[in-house]
Amino acid sequence: MRRLVRLAVLIALAVWAWRFFLGRNEPLERATVAYEDGSAVVVEPGSPGFERLAATARTALR
Amino acid sequence: MDVAQALAELTELSSQVRRAVVLDAEGALVGSTGEDSGAAESLARAARDLVEAAADLRGSGSAVTRVEVELEEGAVFVLREGERTIAATTGPEPTAGLVAYDLRTCLKGISESEPEKPKRRRAPRKTKADEGTGE
Repeated sequence: MRRLVRLAVLIALAVWAWRFFLGRNEPLERATVAYEDGSAVVVEPGSPGFERLAATARTALR
Repeated sequence: MDVAQALAELTELSSQVRRAVVLDAEGALVGSTGEDSGAAESLARAARDLVEAAADLRGSGSAVTRVEVELEEGAVFVLREGERTIAATTGPEPTAGLVAYDLRTCLKGISESEPEKPKRRRAPRKTKADEGTGE
């Protein structure tokens, strides 16, 4: 029983460490656009259109 | 609820919203949080440009209803409902769903308080009898 608890704690620590260190590599910047017909587009850095949206948003954040 | 009251309630409810503006159907500034009119006009202009850029992403077709741009330094949200548009800035990594919900609630609060436009009444139809009497 004690081994089982130790194993569960180790797994939980491994999951936390994985999310803490590797989860931060996900892109922090992105844009989402939704349309009247219900469709939506997610635009990430490097995608066409993202730089225009980001530059416009930066003017509002200054 | 008028625009100023709805915006005051928004900033009270949402700790994530830093600045917000409301625009009318033509894109003119109707109300804003804070006293800095230059910052409000800058956000209003950014909101109009974001909607235009978002529409260009698709080329043609359906109208833009929501634009969210999340950057390292913060995020900008633009929501359109009916004839009103609301735009807001937040800090980095906002809870996007919650901010969008708060903005939509603010817009609904404004639109519900607007008086309905008076309906135009049709002129009564002319009957044959009326036409006969006119001659």
